Amino acid sequence: MKSTDIAIVGAGPAGLAAAREAVESGLSVMLMDDNSQPGGQYFRQLPRQFSRVDRVRHGRAERLFEVLDHPRLHYLPDCVVWDVPEQGILAYAAGTGSGRVRADAIIIAAGATDRPLPFPGWTLPGVITAGGSQNMIKGQAVRPGDDVVVAGNGPLLLVAAMHLISAGATVRAVVEAAPFQRRAWSRLASLSWSPSLLVQALSWRLRLAAARVPFLTGQAVIEAHGAPALEAVSIAPVDHRGGINRASVTTLEADCLVVGNGLAPAVELTRLAGCAHHHDPMLGGWTPRRTKDLETTVPGLYTVGDGAAIGGVELALAEGRMAALAALLQRFPCACLHKRRHNLARHLDRLGRFRTAVADIFAPPETFLELITPETPVCRCENVTLGELGHLAADGAAGMVQLKSTTRLSMGRCQGRFCLATLADLVATRRGIKVADLDWPRFRPPARPVLLGDLLHEEIPPPVLPDDPHLPRGS
Amino acid sequence: MAPQDGLRIETVVIGAGITGLSTALFLARAGREVMVLDRGDPWGESSGGNAGTLSLQVKHPLVLDLMQLSLDLWEAEAGSRNLGYERTGGVRVALSQDEVVMLKKSVALQQRHGYGFDYLEGKALHRAVPWLGPGVLAASLSPRDAFSSPLRCGPQLLRAVSEAGVDIVDHREVQAIEPDGGYRLVTPAGAIRCDIVVIAAGVWSGHISAMLGVELPLMVDVNMLTITEPVDHVLDRVVTHIGGVLSLKQYPNGTCMIGGGWQGKGNPESGTKELDYEQLLHNLRIAARVVPGLRQLRILRSWSGFESVAPDALPVLGRLPGREGVFIATGARGGYSLGPAQGMLLAELITDGHTRLPADSFDPARLV
Repeated sequence: MKSTDIAIVGAGPAGLAAAREAVESGLSVMLMDDNSQPGGQYFRQLPRQFSRVDRVRHGRAERLFEVLDHPRLHYLPDCVVWDVPEQGILAYAAGTGSGRVRADAIIIAAGATDRPLPFPGWTLPGVITAGGSQNMIKGQAVRPGDDVVVAGNGPLLLVAAMHLISAGATVRAVVEAAPFQRRAWSRLASLSWSPSLLVQALSWRLRLAAARVPFLTGQAVIEAHGAPALEAVSIAPVDHRGGINRASVTTLEADCLVVGNGLAPAVELTRLAGCAHHHDPMLGGWTPRRTKDLETTVPGLYTVGDGAAIGGVELALAEGRMAALAALLQRFPCACLHKRRHNLARHLDRLGRFRTAVADIFAPPETFLELITPETPVCRCENVTLGELGHLAADGAAGMVQLKSTTRLSMGRCQGRFCLATLADLVATRRGIKVADLDWPRFRPPARPVLLGDLLHEEIPPPVLPDDPHLPRGS
Repeated sequence: MAPQDGLRIETVVIGAGITGLSTALFLARAGREVMVLDRGDPWGESSGGNAGTLSLQVKHPLVLDLMQLSLDLWEAEAGSRNLGYERTGGVRVALSQDEVVMLKKSVALQQRHGYGFDYLEGKALHRAVPWLGPGVLAASLSPRDAFSSPLRCGPQLLRAVSEAGVDIVDHREVQAIEPDGGYRLVTPAGAIRCDIVVIAAGVWSGHISAMLGVELPLMVDVNMLTITEPVDHVLDRVVTHIGGVLSLKQYPNGTCMIGGGWQGKGNPESGTKELDYEQLLHNLRIAARVVPGLRQLRILRSWSGFESVAPDALPVLGRLPGREGVFIATGARGGYSLGPAQGMLLAELITDGHTRLPADSFDPARLV
């Protein structure tokens, strides 16, 4: 088993910031990331093999990547951290090697997942998530479509639209479910917690206006049409409770629909580690309970960035530093580190208030369940429709665990990432209780699907085989 | 439907897993009045989360007749409803010269008990089963081996039992059993009185029998399982291993289920069920050795589940010693595969006083 001072999961902004803070203070770091290139989603890079001359050199990213050459840092790209087999130990798997690493402190910066919401046609080719669109443009230099509708809820729609325009697409409209503008002006004061972010947001909005992209608020895509791929999308007004005005439908032609309904923290590893979580829709759903130092309820295990609570890149960078500082302070309690932590805490506080203000402005309708028709697949891996679920859940008796095992919902390749939240909304609504009070299915390893062959590199003592295959093996 | 205190039922079965439901089904078909109680969700523990292997050739020689009966019942029942049952035949592999010797001995022993299985080695084996890896030296083949997907079987069997007129009451834990001429079962939602009690509570069966003052030395296995992503169909037989450390099959949806009785960590009292990292790796390693193509598949989930095993791993099937009207079925390795036959024999014992197959070697009295 390997050992290191600090093990970091994720080489996005939060993980890289944590790594830099740690190695510069003399600690050894093992940094594991499931992408081939560092940067995470925000600083996603083109593959090395690409020879494009217009490769964007992002100054901030380059500075963050400098840490990767540090002698005390062991960087493992293409590496899935798939389990937390014991406290202080991570299990990882990569094509080149797999095994366990023991660390004094673990910092999980695993990023976020798109939270797709089902609606009729959401599984048509041409309908992709906002994160998927960003991946294609930033990570592969591929334009997802020529005539694109961007729809859903939250500030990421603006970012996605911006990138689509830069990639040469025509954005037919940005369709925002929140009644954005009316609230924005009244909340401008609260946004001043981070003036630079505010300026950035306003510049996006202005650039969209310059590109003559209609920005429709209080509306939602109610259906995607086309065969065999997307041809058009239908849009209708949606009120704050999620009620859809189907009498007022407009249809836009498009070959690509980019849907973003916010992000959910990737909490698989903190779940597997046994950390306590609470449910906060503003932070993306389930989020680990953390101290001011960003330590979870499992001692020595920190979690930062969007992987802990959705907050964006600035918060991620600051949280990464904070967790590394906190881990450092465990080893070297000294006044200057305390001072650094104090300043960082104030910075985090300001960014946190900005997050609250943004979340408030973009507050989505209470539910999007009215969009789902009986024929709509809720679980796309196993093709389980609302009709099938509704039939089973009709009397309200069946819980999430039972619906999972009877329909196979969430048992496919996505491991529930794209459907469990919707199932929870359905069951909670039907029972009139909160999503947080439901009995959720247990998270099981691996944290992400992992190649069986990649798990077999570690040398372990040979097995003790039973003398008699028929006899008991346990206790 | 909430049974009130003092409700009187002829027979109460404790445990809505494969064994309890099978017992209830055959009792109901014999005209008995039956209620099944479960402390959690029906089919919610090992019946719902086991590997689903139904293999004749891996069984202890003393259990071969029981397993053959069980396979007959699986097949008969699967004729009228989808129990996720598929009779693929099976291959039981040996990976070393020592294991080849063990396999030959086992095949000869099974022959003496009246069960002939084909034995193949080398090129003949690899021609017959081309997806086996070069590390497989020999194998025995059984045309009767099969599987049943537990997730498919559960809802269908529950429906069959309900249709037979049995009440299945979930989340009704039996907290105490008091003899009152018959028996009074104390639950958080009131007591239920009955003449006959059937203990089919899997790994909690010992706990229930202890309520009646009968201590059974049952062991707890915590078996680990892993499922892969779905892929095109390749594995056209279930795979088992002479040393009992691998079970493998590909379900109709294309996923591959990997088991083999490798031990996780767990405790039935607290309900904790964890994996053991090194044991899991051993399990995956042997699976990849037997079927090298598995290396290319992603695993989606690993989990563990409880199995109640008697010290001799034979069924604990029959009357609970010293307690008139109390019957038990648990303790057999591979309880899922044997469930239907155990249910049938127990129902016969209750209704007729005797069973179609000799069950002396399964008598719970041997453990007391």
